[in-house]
Amino acid sequence: MADKSHSTAAAPPHEFQRSLRSRLLEDYGILLVVVAMGAVLAVMQPEYFLSAQNLTNIVRQVGMNALLALGLYIVIVTAGIDLSVGSVMALSIMLLALSDKAGAPWPLVLLIGPAVGTFIGIINGLGLTLLKLPHPFIMTLGTLNAVRGICNLVTDGRPVSGISAEVRYLGIGDIPLPFGGEFAVIPVSAILLLVCYGGVAWFMKKVALGRHIFAVGGNPQAARVSGINVNGVLVFVYAASGFFAGLAALLMAGRTGSGYPNLGIGAELDAIAAVIIGGASFFGGRGTVLGVFAGVLVMGLLRNGLNLMNISAFWQQTLIGIIIIFAVWIDVLRRSSGVRT
Amino acid sequence: MKLKQLLLAACVVFISSGGAFSADKFAVIMGNNPSANQFWAKVEQGALEKGKELGIEVTALGSPGGEGDVAGQIALVEDQLTKGITGLAIAPADPAALVPTIEKALKQGVKVVYIDRPGELGGITYVGTDNEPAAALGGKYICDHVEKGSEVAILQGILAIVNGRARAKGSHDALAACGMNIVAEQTAEWDNAKGQAVTENILTAHPNLKALFASNDNMGMGAIEALKGAKMLDKVIVVGFDGNPEAAESILKGEMAISIAQRPFNMGAIGVESLAKLIKGETLPPVVDTGAEVVDKSNAEKYK
Repeated sequence: MADKSHSTAAAPPHEFQRSLRSRLLEDYGILLVVVAMGAVLAVMQPEYFLSAQNLTNIVRQVGMNALLALGLYIVIVTAGIDLSVGSVMALSIMLLALSDKAGAPWPLVLLIGPAVGTFIGIINGLGLTLLKLPHPFIMTLGTLNAVRGICNLVTDGRPVSGISAEVRYLGIGDIPLPFGGEFAVIPVSAILLLVCYGGVAWFMKKVALGRHIFAVGGNPQAARVSGINVNGVLVFVYAASGFFAGLAALLMAGRTGSGYPNLGIGAELDAIAAVIIGGASFFGGRGTVLGVFAGVLVMGLLRNGLNLMNISAFWQQTLIGIIIIFAVWIDVLRRSSGVRT
Repeated sequence: MKLKQLLLAACVVFISSGGAFSADKFAVIMGNNPSANQFWAKVEQGALEKGKELGIEVTALGSPGGEGDVAGQIALVEDQLTKGITGLAIAPADPAALVPTIEKALKQGVKVVYIDRPGELGGITYVGTDNEPAAALGGKYICDHVEKGSEVAILQGILAIVNGRARAKGSHDALAACGMNIVAEQTAEWDNAKGQAVTENILTAHPNLKALFASNDNMGMGAIEALKGAKMLDKVIVVGFDGNPEAAESILKGEMAISIAQRPFNMGAIGVESLAKLIKGETLPPVVDTGAEVVDKSNAEKYK
């Protein structure tokens, strides 16, 4: 980091401008895609797309993937992967629903989801560092299955309904705006997302541990040599990923008013897709929180738009697949041209 | 020139007649995509044809993630509410998890019916197979074809699901009523491979088994594999449920005896019709039975 600022300071002004522009493109290019998608949808569905009802719907619909992707982002920055988030979310929602049903006080129930998630995240991290499994894919593939199995064992595969209103507030609560009618509201889940994304952006930039996460992803050997506790950092990132999966469970508990053991089957792949579309590198060390959010929105807008246009769900899958490939390809092109100049 | 005018006139008539019929818009939210599953393709067909007949705009959609995709189904319903639907026929992906979304629809004044399977929210009419009498049809076939007091078994579905319970009870009551000796009632969770394994175990314990009722065709097909393995297929009658294409082929080959077919076309059509009735202010009974049909050698060809 210090090297880079040194060289830009020494560079001639037009050089600096170009690097600023390419940096802007790198950080915000995907945001342009989001704006373009929004514009296209607004033109194609003028009656509905920009309605207050639809915009709040989109915010609610992306909530789960947004939280899972945020956790995965932190993991992917270390060149890792966490396949277990969907299962972790399912176990979290079932345990919080069961404890709510059993009469636990709601402030405690609110903590159960994130606590369960963090706990399994720590197990993921310890499996990776203590057992020295060759790749996080393996440890988290293990927990993907084991945790889903435990979730079904605990609940016998049955849903639990009737979650109390206090516990549901984060997922379903609305703060009405003083203007604009019935649907002009700010969903509480939007505020939760804002706090989480703002918090992680700040943490990754300003806190030493956040910068260490980037260092471990960029070059683990160098990080180790420079005195960073690499294993500690790795356990932390998987714990963080589990934490956000638990938080996503709390959101879904609110949205559905129940715990159901099928929650989040395949959700890890959506979250990974959002992070990759958002420009994070699978090889670690690179990626922005804003990019991740843009990736989440690209997927959310695509689904919402195709739903509004009554287009088959299979198109959603197909298009998301194509977008993943294109997003990364454009990234590759930009990077190779960057190397040449 | 004349042709052009004629076409224009036809268009005007078409558009104005479309508007004159009704301002209603119905959404039929299915359990899976019609292209993924024949059953839902029939539901969609029934819903769309009835919509055309009544002059109502009907949209039929399945969850992007397929069966059990709760989050996707909630998003589908929300997006349809945005589009100002007046009626919603839904096969809830989860009986409990869809409750808040359905409440939201009701709050917006949208009329709601369940199709294929009921949800937990009460006071809403269920349009679908009345599973208990339908399963009893299968039990009755067994009663008519094996001697009183014979050993029979039931493969149950998932009992947490209403349909699973109803088929288990309907078949049990029918078999018990005609004096069969029910030696085994076990769940194979709707699954083909589990149906085979459970049947293998039942055959080990009860080699004199004469008939088996499977609560869906998947498990029935598994049971047939188990019977083939034990070389007992000629001694045991297998009754399935659903009228799936592979079950129909099995019936034509003389392996499965009969299957009880649901009427997915009716679910779509009667679902839409029921919504139209609700909008007119009529009241509906809690359950509207869409009927069931016995599939045997005489009519299996059309289920293939």
